Amino acid sequence: MRNLLLSSLIVPFILGLVSFILPKKNKTLACALAIIASFATFIVCIAVFMLKSKFYLDNSYIYTLQYFLVDNLSAFIALFIGLFGFLIVLYSSGFMKDKEELNKYYAYVLWTISASIGAVISNNFLLFLTFWGVLGITLYLLIAMGTEDAPASAKKAFIIIGGSDALILLGMAAVFQLSPFLEISRIHIPLTNNLAVFSFICLALGAFAKSGAMPLHTWIPDSAETAPTPVMAFLPASLDKLLGIYLLFRISVNIFDIQPNSAISLFLMIIGSITIIAAVMMALVQHNFKKLLSYHAVSQVGYMILGIGTANPIGIAGGLFHMLNNAVYKSCLFLSGGNVEYRAKTDDLSKLGGLAKFMPVTFIAFAIASFSISGIPPFNGFVSKWMIYQGIIELGKTGTKLWPLWLSVAMFGSALTLASFMKLIHAIFLGQPSAKKIDDAKEVPAVMNIAPVILAGLCIIFGVWATQIPLRLFIVPSMQTHLTFSGMWNSSLATILILVGLLIGFIIYLLGSLKSREVRQFIGGEDLEKNPQMNPSGAEFYNTVREIPLLQFLYKRAEEKLFDIYEMGKRAVFGVSSLFSYLHNGILPTYCVWILLGMIVIMLVIL
Amino acid sequence: MLVLFFIISLAAAFLIAMFGRKSKLFCHLTSILATLSLFLLSLYALYLVNKSGVIVYNIGGWIPPLGICLVLDGFSAFMLLVLNFISFIVAIYALAYMEKYTDKYRFYCLFMCMITGMNGVILAGDIFNLFVCLEIASVASYALVAFGTEAEELEAAFKYIVMGAIAASFILLGIGLLYAYTSTLNMADISLAIAHKGFNTVILLVSVLFIAGFGTKSALVPFHGWLPDAHSSAPAAVSAMLSGVLIKVLGIYSLVRIFFNIFGVNQIILMILAILGAISILVGAILAIGQWDLKRLLAYSSISQIGYVILSLSLATPLGILGGLFHLFNHSVFKSLLFLNSGAIEYATGCRNLKEMGGLKEKMPITANTSWIASLSISGIPPFSGFWSKLLIIIACVQANRIGLALIAVAGSIITLAYFMKVQKVIFYGKLNPAFDKIKEVPVSMRLAMIVLAVLCLLGGILFIPRILVYFLKPAVSVLLLGTNYAFTVLGGVL
Repeated sequence: MRNLLLSSLIVPFILGLVSFILPKKNKTLACALAIIASFATFIVCIAVFMLKSKFYLDNSYIYTLQYFLVDNLSAFIALFIGLFGFLIVLYSSGFMKDKEELNKYYAYVLWTISASIGAVISNNFLLFLTFWGVLGITLYLLIAMGTEDAPASAKKAFIIIGGSDALILLGMAAVFQLSPFLEISRIHIPLTNNLAVFSFICLALGAFAKSGAMPLHTWIPDSAETAPTPVMAFLPASLDKLLGIYLLFRISVNIFDIQPNSAISLFLMIIGSITIIAAVMMALVQHNFKKLLSYHAVSQVGYMILGIGTANPIGIAGGLFHMLNNAVYKSCLFLSGGNVEYRAKTDDLSKLGGLAKFMPVTFIAFAIASFSISGIPPFNGFVSKWMIYQGIIELGKTGTKLWPLWLSVAMFGSALTLASFMKLIHAIFLGQPSAKKIDDAKEVPAVMNIAPVILAGLCIIFGVWATQIPLRLFIVPSMQTHLTFSGMWNSSLATILILVGLLIGFIIYLLGSLKSREVRQFIGGEDLEKNPQMNPSGAEFYNTVREIPLLQFLYKRAEEKLFDIYEMGKRAVFGVSSLFSYLHNGILPTYCVWILLGMIVIMLVIL
Repeated sequence: MLVLFFIISLAAAFLIAMFGRKSKLFCHLTSILATLSLFLLSLYALYLVNKSGVIVYNIGGWIPPLGICLVLDGFSAFMLLVLNFISFIVAIYALAYMEKYTDKYRFYCLFMCMITGMNGVILAGDIFNLFVCLEIASVASYALVAFGTEAEELEAAFKYIVMGAIAASFILLGIGLLYAYTSTLNMADISLAIAHKGFNTVILLVSVLFIAGFGTKSALVPFHGWLPDAHSSAPAAVSAMLSGVLIKVLGIYSLVRIFFNIFGVNQIILMILAILGAISILVGAILAIGQWDLKRLLAYSSISQIGYVILSLSLATPLGILGGLFHLFNHSVFKSLLFLNSGAIEYATGCRNLKEMGGLKEKMPITANTSWIASLSISGIPPFSGFWSKLLIIIACVQANRIGLALIAVAGSIITLAYFMKVQKVIFYGKLNPAFDKIKEVPVSMRLAMIVLAVLCLLGGILFIPRILVYFLKPAVSVLLLGTNYAFTVLGGVL
């Protein structure tokens, strides 16, 4: 068992190293190696998961090495890291085929897999931090492999991630001060004194940066435009969500044990709500579909944080389940979006349109994932959102007055998500073909469709059989507490009802199609008369949202990057820096005066 | 044996001065052999200290308070190792790098003089010899900064001389007052005298003079005015020595030796050192991020990193001292490496301005990769060496209940990460400047030096393994923790 666990780390690492030192020419070899390595890792992760669940009833900590520990949560997350790693490598073998330096690309991907698994199974805080830091490096290297502007966004991403690593380090130092252990499983700190709160916030900021919650989210939309699409699907969309929320779960449930209605719970819920609304509002007005998707990647994190912030079992389980679902549908969206980009050679919405009939498989996968992210039953996104809503309602029972606010934020965010995906599907797949004709409009090679199809299948399976499969296998065991569902969604029955409903509708449609009716073209609820120049391609949907007075102000500020903590920090630091540079005028007497002044000040202090 | 540290380096300097003008090979051979043997000797010294504790060598057989003595304890052995290792690597690097300068034998002569001075500072058992050796090293470094003899170099050297002289006069004044007060120059004896007479205003005044004097040598803000000019104008090999070891040996070593071992730990002085350290961290880092001259950026970054070392040492807890010394070692390695990288870039492109560079990754893969490793290491990204020392420093700050200092350390490290990412991006990524179309990777000796240091950055974490850490750093830490017990161990045979 011990060897099995270590091999899940060592196999991808060593094969990554081999791929790294391969000659640049051997693209096929590097690719084959990566597929084998990631598949082997996936198998090992499955084995770890299976062996663990045999002992499930005895003890939730199954076996312990000195530095590693696998419990239900880490086994389940490692399983999905393995799955996503394999799917992404498989997809990259088609998408990245013509790129340079493929051996390095696969090496970085394999190292990312290795380090991520390491981060979730390490039980020693230092070891965890080491793996976590390595992930920042590989993220930088992977983003930097994109377009010409990629190094700039890679730099931004790394500064935010690496900077938050320093915060985690500080939080860890505080934890170490409060508790004599460095083993994560043995640390239990009540959130009673200031140092504990301080350390929780430091660690939570690290988790926010990784998973992309506001205010540390700004690296995701920036890298979306420049990074290679599989990298976006791999890191910000799936792995970083798994890891960031994993950390948040660990600190808020295992290490600190936050209480409902405490200040920390409120803090998390506020961050979550702001993230949901602000990011989805930004998503509504994007023109670049990768950027639009990336804002949703931010917005969905809000739900997970909101869920965990409720601090009651059902809400936390909902947050965790939403993390899993989000990873599935968001990487499906990025990958099928990547298919579109692969054929159309553009990611600008106004240049796309009418691709559904050329790329049916991609379209269906994309549509399923879109329904899922918008929380439409019976897909998986609905179930987890429903659990989060229940968590909020449970919270209401404990006497807080604010629960209707959280609930309406979550539901409103969900509605806006649906709206923006309507725009996206319309602009890419339906609607008029764009003015500029896409030459190569046909379905992508089969190898690139495997991953989106599998993920779309998971969206359905995790939705329809939610209680039977994902909740029973992954989520409930991870919670270590008993879950009570106040109003459980009986998804299988509902699915049948929905199907029946659709069938009846279809029959009515067939009967009614005898006398059809003229309707005006649907353009996302916009008024065509007011926008006569509007391009019905869909890219312009919701531009009127910008015109609403207060929002207009906010959007403008957002475009000036006034809400970007990175840009603001940069401006502040550079401002101070130019002041200091001005003081360093290079004149010798000035410097000598400093020495004297410094000495005099010290003398005054001491004597 | 301790005298060998002087003899070898000084003899090498003289030999090069006498015979080096004719034969380039002789210069190279002498400098390499001398630095290599010094490096091996310092390894042996570390072994001896671990085996048999403190070694005192009485020159001419005179017993300590009367005669001059050399003292090798854990702290000196550690500093000797850092110094001689870096100088050996820099000597290898200089083989090819100094090709473009004329009068190379003078460079090697001055270089060896500087090493002599620094070895002397570390081994000196009495405070006046410490001062003399400090001046030997400083004067050699003034000349080395001016080595290019262009207007810029001369201006920088002039500033450096003036400020260095001010610092030296403060130090000398302090030593004079101390001598008048205690009637002895032997450091162990001074310590005893102070313990006997009590810690009073005279000592406080001397402390202020020493903080200003040695603070200038170690370039703490606000005493740092000389450093950016001097570091950026000197030849890269010299900058690496200046930043990697000179400011540490002349500044930090002397400060720490005097305040921990001679005067004894004093809370007010520790507080002042902590504040100076914290200011240096922030000011250095903020100044560095605005720079577009590579070497100037690295120079400001040195100020900031020295701040970390002083901050951590000033906590005076076991973990703080361990973190500070470990960071001192790591900083020597990665900052020397970064200066060597900057030298390599200047060697290949002839330019230091970041705005003109770009896309050098393809052309200079070894420089690019080693500098990437050094940048990650200095920014404290795991698993590179800088991470482990930063970890210790932050944990030590929190343990000492100084959350504010810990926050400053974290903020400094975020800014450090930001400016090194800027350096990486503008130099190695992006579009290649057409003017640099024909550049090549640097010669073998420069590559070798960079690779050795990069491997050390990569393996820095290994030093973290307790057993190695104990062997390497524990003697030094325990010397500082025992404080004024220094006097008894040095004078043990006499009293």
